Amino acid sequence: MTTQQQSYLTPEVKAMVGVQGEKVEVTIWGIEKEHLRRFVHAIMDPDPRYWDEEFARTTKFGEVIMPPIYCTYMNKTAPGAEDPISRAFRNNPVSDGIGGLDRGRPGALPPLPLPQMRVLNAGNDIEVFKYPSLGDRIFSQQKYGSIIERVGRDGSHMLIVTNETIFTNQKDEVLCITRSSGIRR
Amino acid sequence: MTTRTGEELRNKQQTHYEDVNEGQMLPDYVLGPMTPTHIFRWSAAIENWHRIHYDQDFAVYHEGLPNILVNGSWKQSVLPGYLKDLCLPDGWMWKCSFQHRAMIVPGDTITCWAKVTSKKVIDGLGFIELEVGMKTQDDIETCPGQATIVLPLKGGRSVPYPFVPPKS
Repeated sequence: MTTQQQSYLTPEVKAMVGVQGEKVEVTIWGIEKEHLRRFVHAIMDPDPRYWDEEFARTTKFGEVIMPPIYCTYMNKTAPGAEDPISRAFRNNPVSDGIGGLDRGRPGALPPLPLPQMRVLNAGNDIEVFKYPSLGDRIFSQQKYGSIIERVGRDGSHMLIVTNETIFTNQKDEVLCITRSSGIRR
Repeated sequence: MTTRTGEELRNKQQTHYEDVNEGQMLPDYVLGPMTPTHIFRWSAAIENWHRIHYDQDFAVYHEGLPNILVNGSWKQSVLPGYLKDLCLPDGWMWKCSFQHRAMIVPGDTITCWAKVTSKKVIDGLGFIELEVGMKTQDDIETCPGQATIVLPLKGGRSVPYPFVPPKS
């Protein structure tokens, strides 16, 4: 097996730090009670602040709240869109259920000018400022937060690429920021 | 804590800055044992159709996995929720970072845990640094990380909502 002995961190790659994708709406019908109900059952969180409106009004939040990073799970298949599952299995009868199900990735970052590389999850980081309110429209915007190079003991080079996504509501209030780091080697 | 009910969370008494100290383990929270049905419910809720989370034949014979897997996205939603509960009713789960280190499979029971690593007061609020994670019944750490929660001081001001981070 050969290893990459030269830097991947070219001026073209460095120039991608700070590059942003388009700000896009990730909700279809805004934040809905029914999806919230399903979500909090799935994370097994019995907090009445998620559903008891009368009680929620007495809390410091003054209204029903959402789980801390709920707004990051809004990207769903829109009604009327081509069925991505049928498409994926039509194109590949042994689809893994992920490949080919792309929903178009609106707001995606431009690719880094790198050769084909293996990507490993290096960790996630979240910062939470506010819960969305019922009915809120949620928007997200991605950017390349940082690109750092590391050199392994065998002299091989790898990059740690961190994508930052800011989630906002229709008032442009920042709800949460997620950072996802991937090792590319 | 080990378990939590809606009524416990409704009536939860505030933990203050003064109540926690470096090295202290905060109340844990146990979930499980996890079943394929729990895992499927999460995949359906977020419309994640990756077959490794519900198709056992695919997971084992095609992907070479030991079983279907609990989603990483489930872990990264449950852990902040646990930290949220530690902060209620007036504190705030500000930051959390973690890595996905080990698989969780059906049959596993998960313990969310947090240990205080340091604390300091900034602008009249208590900032608590935590080591956090989600361990299996075999003491395997699946999701090690760090977190910062914000607790009020006894007799001090409320934690602002929406949360405003300190300038320094």
